[in-house]
Amino acid sequence: MKPDFLKGVRFTDLTWAGAGPFGTKVFSDFGAEVLKIESATRLDSVRTAGPFKDGVVGLNRSGYFASRNTGKKSISLNLKSEEGKRIVRELVAQSDVVSNNFGPGAMDRFGFDYEALREIKPDIIYLSMPMYGQDGPRADLLGVGMTISAVTSIMWQTAYGTGDPVGPGTHYPDHAANPYHAAFAVLAALAHRRKTGRGMKIDLSQVESTINFVGPAVIEASSTGREPPQIGNRSRSHAPHNIFRARGDDRWVAIAITDNAQWRALATIIGRADLRDDTSLATAAGRLASLDRVEQAVAGWCATHAPEEIVTALRAHGIAVSEVAHSRALIEADPQLAHRGYWQHVQHPEIGAVLLNSPPYLIDGERVELEPPPLLGQHTREVLGGLLGLSGTQLDELNEQGVFS
Amino acid sequence: MSRPFEDIQILDLTWEFGRYVGRLFGDLGARVTRIEPPGGLPDRRASTSPVAIEREPAVYEFEFLNAGKASVTLELSSPEGREACAALMREAQVILLERGGPFYDELQWVRAQAPSAVVTSVSPFGRTGPWAEAPATDLTLQSAGGIAWLSGRLADGPLRLPGLQATMITGVYAATATSLALYDTLATGRGHEVDVSAQECIAHSLQNSIQMWDFERRVSMRGGEGTRDASEDMFSCRDGLIFLAAPRSLGVSWNALVSWIQETGHASAQELAKERWADRVWRLTGEAKAIFRQTLESFTQCYTKEQLTQEALRRKIVMGPVATVADVLDDPQLRHRDYFQQVELALAGARVSFPGAPYRLSEPVWRLRPAGSEQPQPA
Repeated sequence: MKPDFLKGVRFTDLTWAGAGPFGTKVFSDFGAEVLKIESATRLDSVRTAGPFKDGVVGLNRSGYFASRNTGKKSISLNLKSEEGKRIVRELVAQSDVVSNNFGPGAMDRFGFDYEALREIKPDIIYLSMPMYGQDGPRADLLGVGMTISAVTSIMWQTAYGTGDPVGPGTHYPDHAANPYHAAFAVLAALAHRRKTGRGMKIDLSQVESTINFVGPAVIEASSTGREPPQIGNRSRSHAPHNIFRARGDDRWVAIAITDNAQWRALATIIGRADLRDDTSLATAAGRLASLDRVEQAVAGWCATHAPEEIVTALRAHGIAVSEVAHSRALIEADPQLAHRGYWQHVQHPEIGAVLLNSPPYLIDGERVELEPPPLLGQHTREVLGGLLGLSGTQLDELNEQGVFS
Repeated sequence: MSRPFEDIQILDLTWEFGRYVGRLFGDLGARVTRIEPPGGLPDRRASTSPVAIEREPAVYEFEFLNAGKASVTLELSSPEGREACAALMREAQVILLERGGPFYDELQWVRAQAPSAVVTSVSPFGRTGPWAEAPATDLTLQSAGGIAWLSGRLADGPLRLPGLQATMITGVYAATATSLALYDTLATGRGHEVDVSAQECIAHSLQNSIQMWDFERRVSMRGGEGTRDASEDMFSCRDGLIFLAAPRSLGVSWNALVSWIQETGHASAQELAKERWADRVWRLTGEAKAIFRQTLESFTQCYTKEQLTQEALRRKIVMGPVATVADVLDDPQLRHRDYFQQVELALAGARVSFPGAPYRLSEPVWRLRPAGSEQPQPA
């Protein structure tokens, strides 16, 4: 399906890099017209971030960019030029949402602060998403996604055990908390505007947004005055509950026992009737108290079995189990994702077929079909000619002045 | 004051991976009602368990994910309870179902009660496919979705993200999809059915690793092995850890760091001035990482997290403290912005600091209420 739920909604989208564009992609995938304002002189950094098709570096060849910008229209504008800024204001006048993820003060310096744009478009929805908020003693701290993991305790909590943090391997907050909190807020603002006629400003501090993703730990620390334990793959309530090495080259399975009957079944499967019948291990508390003994038994069995065998044997007994999948396995060998038609190829004019994740849900039983990401500046003339009514001659003049550079 | 979702009634039958959806809508005005069997849904039962190890951390998760929701107890196996629930469904604009919870296996009946509602189903693997019934938990879903693979040390095996990230990731995607569908429903009157797979949500959050395989036939490895610069890591300082990012692609950060070290006259400046640090490829190697760690830590160990953070601010170095949870509660920026909400919680006790809104809105429409603070009766 190509949903038209947001038909008629227009974005002037100044976001760049990871979190911002991933959030506004939600809207272009659902029928909104997202005008991505970018510039060859100040590139969206993700256009220059790999991987590149065939390993050949090029502004329109990044797979990472493709995955964050499906269905958008690219307008190349040099915002250092007065004409470039004027065009943005004219686009905002005909937009419903204006979005950015610049640092504090950057929009003001362009003359694009909320009050200024509200004068142009009184009911504008204005999304701003700097890292640490617009004001305060650390507002100007520079960061990447991992910095957000660091200051929100996610890095500290992503640990094998006590005092052994390693942190997420990705810029995790860029890929879930911040783009999707932002998208949810804009959708709420659109709903609000439809009822009241009023727009609003959304100030999303990426740190504040991300802290909600570890909200329960924050409540616990506040309530008890103690630091929540760093438990890694283990559980405080159940055992065994861990990732174990399976037979094969760097292959691993996650096993999560969540009740005593499952434990007895597992102990039987791994050929350890002695542990199954050991009353000291009959409850989760008992198993947690003898964690080394319990885990060693499971680890020993897993090491001699292939992940497929482990999954089949345990799943048949109602035990939560999964191989730890990597990208290739998800794409080529996951029967569930294949059955649900999760992967789709989108044809791109320069790099051909690009493999993309579908939005992770079915709507009315159907997949949302994605549109290709734009080439840099692909829609400049079309949009400025159509929406702003600029003539071919005017567009040529602006181009000669470097406004589209 | 009108609020974005104040005329929206949500019937919330989720108990695990779907719980954040109703929370997000409720904070913006929706009336969210959990329907629970006598004794409660599994998350309430765990939160009120007499067994301490079952209660923690379930109780904190319960308070966080169910804030703002009311709860009605109905015996759903009785005709009266079922009819009472059907009556609530007929009033609802959104119905949230979850595998293992009430009515998940009766989707068509639910839709018949509320044909113009958005019915969102949350499940580990989606409603269809060979794994539709497969048991799952946070750990196994982070594994099946590919995110556990990406964290940890190469030698020590994959590592999941902390807390309940399968629930959080699934929650924001499911809330967004529900809101998109609702936007259409309110305009057109047509109901929608949304089928959210937690595995798919997690697999949608893997940075660039899908394209890395598609375009370069490389499997992204845990810890960014082979792709992460020597400078992009945690380093020890006098009172803890700091996180630094100063690859050559962030030239401002690298140059500012090296200039600062040079200014202080610290011996490590000599190493970092060497030509080899201009070599982006060499900087990815284990050798470079070992040298950089030893060199930088000889410098950072002279300073506290706070001192390093102040210099990062002053000099535009991409560097910040690796906060513990207690540090987050004490963060000067968050204090300045008056971020935390002080609330009394029914199950987690005392007056606690509760995370503030994920977004600040210029209209005063976001409001936090503790879980179960209202008990409306069924119609």
